Order: sequence, then C-alpha cells, then structure tokens
Amino acid sequence: MPDALDPVIHAPARLRVVATLAALDPGDELSFPKLQKLLDMTAGNLSTHLRKLEDADYVRVTKTHEGRTPATYLALTPQGRRAFEDYTEALQGLLRGAGS
Amino acid sequence: MTSTPDSPGDDVAGLPAADSLRLIREQQDRARSALEPDARALYGAWGVAWLVGYLVLWTSGRGQEQPEAWAYWVFGGALAAAVVFTMVHTMRRTAGTRGVSARTGAMYGWAWMLGFLTLGVLLGGLARAGAGTEVMGLASNGGACLVVGLLYLAGAAAFGDRNLFVLGAWILLVAGAATLVGLPGTYLVMALAGGGGFLVMAGVEQLRVVRGRRHPEEGAGRA
Repeated sequence: MPDALDPVIHAPARLRVVATLAALDPGDELSFPKLQKLLDMTAGNLSTHLRKLEDADYVRVTKTHEGRTPATYLALTPQGRRAFEDYTEALQGLLRGAGS
Repeated sequence: MTSTPDSPGDDVAGLPAADSLRLIREQQDRARSALEPDARALYGAWGVAWLVGYLVLWTSGRGQEQPEAWAYWVFGGALAAAVVFTMVHTMRRTAGTRGVSARTGAMYGWAWMLGFLTLGVLLGGLARAGAGTEVMGLASNGGACLVVGLLYLAGAAAFGDRNLFVLGAWILLVAGAATLVGLPGTYLVMALAGGGGFLVMAGVEQLRVVRGRRHPEEGAGRA
C-alpha cells in the first residue's frame, strides 16, 4: 500500500511545504520569507525541498524584483495541487481501511 | 519514523496516515490563521466603535438641536481607530502574498476610499445648496451607511462570504430605519442595531471557529 503514496510529498518536511501552499487560493503566491516563517525551516533547508518539488513540477518558483530587492514567490502548479489532493485522499483511504 | 529533512532516505520515510493527516491539518490551520484577516477581530472593532461612538452622539444630542463638538470628536476618534486597526491588521496578515486575492483585496480597498471620497464631495454640495443641520446629519449618516452596506454586499460577492452579505443587507435596513426615525433617535438606532449587528457577526464567526475545531476532519486537505 505505501507505494500508492507519492514519494515526493511523503517526506514530512515537503508535505508541510505543499500543505501550506495548498492553503492558498489557486492563482495566489507566497513569498519565500513568509513561507519560511510559516514552516520554521532554515532558508537552506527550505530551498533544498523547494528544488525537489520544482523538479517534480509540483511547485512554481517565480523570481522577481520589488524595487531593487530580489524577491522569490512560490505557488503550487496544477499538478502539485492535484498530487496533494490525491495524497490526502490516499491517506484518508488508508485510515478508513485501518479503522474498519 | 523520524527523518532528518535532507537525508537521502527521507523520500521513503513517511509518517503513519493519521499523523500525516494531522500534520497537514495543523500546518494548513497555521497558514490560514497567519494569512487571512481575523473576521472576529474586525467585526468586534467596528461593533465597539459604532456602539460607543453613536451612543456618545445620542447622549450628547438629546434635548438640543445637535450633539456637542466633543461628541463628534469622540465619534470620529472611535471610527478612525477602527479604520487604522482594520488596515494594519489586514496588511500585516496579507503581506508576502500576491496574485488574484491580493488584486481583489486592493480593488476592494480602493472601492471604500472612492466611496467615502464621493460621499464627502456630495455632502459638501448639499451644504453649499443650503441644507440645514438636520438634513446634513441625516444625509451624512444615511449616506455613509449606504456606502458601507453596498460595499459589504460587493465584498460578499467578491469573496464568496454569505455572512457578509447578510450583514450588508442588515446595514442597509438599519440605514433606512435610522433615517426615518429622525434625530437624535437616528444615533440610538445606529448604536444598538448597527453596532449590535457587528457584535453579533463577531459572535457568529467565533462559533464558526469553535465548530471548525470540533470537527477538524472537514478542513483536512481542503484546498
């Protein structure tokens, strides 16, 4: 059964990243510092996880400038949102199976 | 089942299903409460501002043509405090987000500015045309309520918030009733029915939060 769970978001740290971004409305983005604050992760740690999520095409990273300061915004891609929904459904399925 | 976040093995080491679902729920609750303005705080602030401000106007205005100057200052101060609190609270919560919601919120904010700016110009025109104290009192109060009520209806449509729609309709009803009652009773209607309406909404939001805590599974994984 575990092979039904998406390995990219099965790691707790990445699951928290994806869960946070899934709490946004589709079409909204979150800045890197705000995401970091919501997760209590170090910048380096968060960057590593974001790169893996970006490689899987689950997270879209937008680099931009606000005035002269570089800024990074993160959002789930449609695939990422679907993967998160499938993942939570699979977990709920596992839980129902275990509870009966 | 614990894993260091960057270890190669973390791709396979996950939590049991129940723990993962709890992790998701807690993280999403944390994100929402950090990113979305707290409706209870906003309704509460406006409820207290209307209740106190209008009660002061009513108390000071009884038995004479219009309230004393100090009463208008207290009223203005209460409303200004609520405006500042709303802006600071909303900007703090929504900082670091951008996209469709941020643009919708900005347009909604500008709609309030433009609405009250136009009301100010309109009242200036009425005063220049010779409107007396009573007409000005009724027109400024009723006009402000009309702007507030209509913008709540618009906000309800923009953000899909049914409770806000009910509040908007209630404020419009209060605006009509308060104007028909006439001064100084207008201010008492505004304090009790208007301010009270906001405080009831704060209570309704509190109930919604408590119910969400008791049935957390409804929120888990909700996008």
